[in-house]
Amino acid sequence: MTDASGATAMSKSISDTKGRQRLASADQRRLGFYLTLPTQILVLFIAVFPLLMQLYISMTDWTPLSGLNWTRAYELWAGFANYRDLFDDDRFFGALWRTFLIIIIAVPIEFLLGLAIAMLFMEEFPAKKVFYSALLVPMMIVPAVAGYMFFLLFQSDGPINQLLSLFTGSKVAISWLSDPDLALAVVIMADIWQWTPLMFLILLAGLLGVPNDQLKAATLLGASPWQRFVTIVLPKIKTIMIIAVAIRTIELFKIFDTLYIMTAGGPGVATETISVFIYKITTLELVWGYVAALALLILVTLSIVAALGMYLLQRNKSRASA
Amino acid sequence: MTAFKKHTRRDALKLGGKGALLCTSAMIGTQFIRPGRALAADALAEGMIGGPTGFAGAEAYQYGPDSPEGRAVEAVKELAGKGQAPSSIRLALSEGSIGQLTKPFPDGAPSVKDLWEKETGVKLDIIGIPEGQGFTKTIQDISTGGGNYDIYSLDYNRLGDLAETGGIVNLDEYVAKHRPEWDDPETGYVGGSQGVSLLNEYRGSVYGVSLDGDFQTWVYRTDLFEDSAEKAAFRDQYGYELQTPRTWKELDEIARFFHRPEEGLFGCTDLRNQGWGYTNWYQRYVSTGKPNRHLFGNDGQPLINSEEGVLATREYVDSLDYHSPDAISWGWPEQYGNMAAGGAAMTCAFSNLPKFLDNPGNEGSKITGKLGSMLPPGRVHDDDLVRRSVLWFSLTASVSTQATHPEVAYLFLQWLGSSKIYSWMTANPSGYFDPFQLANFSDPLVAKTYHDYHVEVIKETVRRIVPTINYPGATALHNALDENLVAALTGSITPEMAMANTEKQWNRIVRRTGEEKIVEAVRANNAAWPTVLDPAV
Amino acid sequence: MQRTFPFEIFRYGMILLALFIAMIPVAWMISMAFKPIPEWSALGDDLTWWPRQPTLDNFRFIFGQSTNDLIVELEKTAGRPILASLLASVIGTLIAMVAGTSAAYGLSRFNSGKNLPLALIQLRLFPPLAVMIPVMIMWTFLNLIDTWWGLALIYGIVTLPFSFWLMKTYFDEMPREIEEAALVEGCTRFRVFTRITLPMMAGPLASSALLVFILNWSDYLIALMLTTREWQTIPVYMASLSSSMTGQLYGAKAALGLIAAVPPVILGIAIQRHLVRGLTFGALKQ
Repeated sequence: MTDASGATAMSKSISDTKGRQRLASADQRRLGFYLTLPTQILVLFIAVFPLLMQLYISMTDWTPLSGLNWTRAYELWAGFANYRDLFDDDRFFGALWRTFLIIIIAVPIEFLLGLAIAMLFMEEFPAKKVFYSALLVPMMIVPAVAGYMFFLLFQSDGPINQLLSLFTGSKVAISWLSDPDLALAVVIMADIWQWTPLMFLILLAGLLGVPNDQLKAATLLGASPWQRFVTIVLPKIKTIMIIAVAIRTIELFKIFDTLYIMTAGGPGVATETISVFIYKITTLELVWGYVAALALLILVTLSIVAALGMYLLQRNKSRASA
Repeated sequence: MTAFKKHTRRDALKLGGKGALLCTSAMIGTQFIRPGRALAADALAEGMIGGPTGFAGAEAYQYGPDSPEGRAVEAVKELAGKGQAPSSIRLALSEGSIGQLTKPFPDGAPSVKDLWEKETGVKLDIIGIPEGQGFTKTIQDISTGGGNYDIYSLDYNRLGDLAETGGIVNLDEYVAKHRPEWDDPETGYVGGSQGVSLLNEYRGSVYGVSLDGDFQTWVYRTDLFEDSAEKAAFRDQYGYELQTPRTWKELDEIARFFHRPEEGLFGCTDLRNQGWGYTNWYQRYVSTGKPNRHLFGNDGQPLINSEEGVLATREYVDSLDYHSPDAISWGWPEQYGNMAAGGAAMTCAFSNLPKFLDNPGNEGSKITGKLGSMLPPGRVHDDDLVRRSVLWFSLTASVSTQATHPEVAYLFLQWLGSSKIYSWMTANPSGYFDPFQLANFSDPLVAKTYHDYHVEVIKETVRRIVPTINYPGATALHNALDENLVAALTGSITPEMAMANTEKQWNRIVRRTGEEKIVEAVRANNAAWPTVLDPAV
Repeated sequence: MQRTFPFEIFRYGMILLALFIAMIPVAWMISMAFKPIPEWSALGDDLTWWPRQPTLDNFRFIFGQSTNDLIVELEKTAGRPILASLLASVIGTLIAMVAGTSAAYGLSRFNSGKNLPLALIQLRLFPPLAVMIPVMIMWTFLNLIDTWWGLALIYGIVTLPFSFWLMKTYFDEMPREIEEAALVEGCTRFRVFTRITLPMMAGPLASSALLVFILNWSDYLIALMLTTREWQTIPVYMASLSSSMTGQLYGAKAALGLIAAVPPVILGIAIQRHLVRGLTFGALKQ
């Protein structure tokens, strides 16, 4: 694992400066190995057994209801039946689709809001620090309690409807959580509320890294704000934008806590995301062989997506530096 | 998690300054104290070997050596003498029920837990399980070999599933040896051996010991129903007297009449959410037949995709008109909270609702003294009225195969689930255990806690109770029905589609679980349905 | 941006609007935490925005002093869950930070562990629920169920990708001249890492740690699966705050939620300076 990488490191460093040469000694390769060792162990620890077990179980119809210990799951051998069933499971695809829907609505909104607010914070102004800290608060609220608060806020006689009544002047009595579409909207709103601050934080960090003198120079040269943004700011913060969007996409794919407490995936399956679906079939239907097949399918798909994403990011970086 | 606060006289004194409220309302617990006589009750009555002491009337709960309770305690002592008893038994129990085992009741008495420990020397270690987590935690313990509990307690519907996991002990041998007398015609289960079979058995063998009676019971607001202005207005509008509804049609009309959301009053709040709501669909569905309409025929075929199924579903959906606009997202905590705040005219809930909400100790409740109970509404078939309610949830305890001393664990359950100890425990207002044995319904302490008006109705409701699905695959079968009903409630599908989808999914589940097993269990379940009919007029 | 008067108005207007929306749920939680039972939920149009009769009962209640208005008594107080959450999250964060930072450095400087970037992304992408059964079996086998260290271990692992990736970007962008100078002076490579590099990384370390801590502190699902009673964390305990007398104990939940917001907020304020500077660092060097 380290030999090959160490060798490339070495060959790279040798062509580098003098100091770099010192970095690549055998001693330092060993140090590199030890530094990465704990992480390697932790990754193997959490990956090897669970994946092997899931692989094994996924080829069987094992369920705790069978009365068999999992090691004897082979007695219920099913071959690839679970995998075949997956492609025929509307509920699974429904959950997958809903998860993507949440992602493609929530992430762009979080991104644009985060960016817009971050741009307002680019210069110094009075009370900036206070505003800045206050805007980060939603992120600090435990999602479980956020779930209960959103449940209450969106009751039909709750504060949101009353606020809306106040603004519109007529009585608003929307049954948010009983309507399939609106319930999904509430789930998305809760996520935007809680995680736009993170977008804001990351993007602001990126924006503050944009050299001020370049901006000033551009202003003197008569560039419009939009031109300045596109030609100076955007190239500087492109990578950090990608990182921010990637983080939220990854986390949203697994959305569970707030949602589960607020709607438990309901009404019906209206807010059933992939995690809620897995939770339900794991704890209620107990089809654990099927869950294992599902887990592996997700893992393989996600791995391809992740590898592709990393490849694109790499290419983007090397292009930028070229 | 939470349980009734024990009200002692000290509390009452402390609160004395708070005003007249407490003076007029007798506190549960204190009301049983009759100083002078309490002292005399400190010792066991003659011929008794055990049972609670320290309060008036305690002798009714004491037992001799040749009783289910006495035999259990003696057997544990004997096993302990031979070194075959553990130092403690670990009982997994839903958090809301713990209080009934740990809080002394009535004043002067020991707690159930203390009494067991004193009599047998075996410690009772109660492990609270958060609401809704029981099945998950139990399956986790069984499938991972966790061995965290000696006794599981789950809703009776899951007994079949649990038995199939091989994680719970077949108790037949112990039952034969220690004779729990569950079918005693005076004090035992309602329905005798049939009741025992329903609650404790799976495929002819005992796997559980019932510790609950979750007969869904209807309650209404007496202050609204007896108000003369309301009565007059109702008569003007509908042409008949306002009274507790006998049919679903009357229920619908009365609920619509009282439905005034802008005033914070809903017509009716029987649940409509996922996981619970379908018990109320059941009531409407099963009464479409005389004496019953079953869910599955004795051949294992689903019967719900029919005119009757669609009718029940349509009514169920239409009834949303007089529910909270949030009904689809409300669980029982919201239902109880709303009722306590006086937010509904009628509801259907666990039989313990009056115990908690019509309760002077519950200062948060606005409906104390304003609650009445009624039989479930029904349907007229010729000259008869079919009124049905459902048994749903109802805790049944089972012994884990991972228990080191299963016999002692069983003996504890025999003791706890016996008519004397259980009557004493269920009267304790600190938890969810509800009365289900004949002895409980004639018990003076139970009558105090649950109120006379309510105990009568529970008893009559029990005679009209149909069981929910308790065969293997119960969880999956209920879930399939549930999801389709909620989809119908939200208008995503029509009642017809809901029933057709459910039938399709049920057939698949039955095939997967094993038709043979299910047909056998369906027959046992159907045989336990009631045949009581009421006169139509 | 121009610093014109209308723009300043616009800036404050927008920030105040954002703040208003961000604060609605927070304000509702704070208000709820001080409300007595009758004010928890609305009946008809009668909604309590701000406690009419503010009370500390909800706080007293979760710490085991039952109060007359709540008429219920807890089997278990919030003290233990708070301790459980603190231990599991803090130690979990430590595990993630120590392992992640050193691995990030190892990769950034010595090109060791080239498999890690992808492996850790996969680890973070993967829904923990999908492997919950094997993990439960492992944790049972290792006697880690219902222990704070068992929770800390899995928290450390699932947040490892964050610390690793964040720290890796900082190390990658960090100028190497200083390290090289120290090496020339004769420091060992490891000493350079601990004495020179890490202190320079105080900002990024603090902001990464805060993020990782928040993620651990927030978890509901994993703790729900891997604890049974002794070491239930705040969110798991919160879910069980309901009673048949009053339904969901919203006031108590909100009070606990308010308490649960304290550690991250304090940490956030404490490292506020680093938070911006720390995250800026990576971008500066592009």
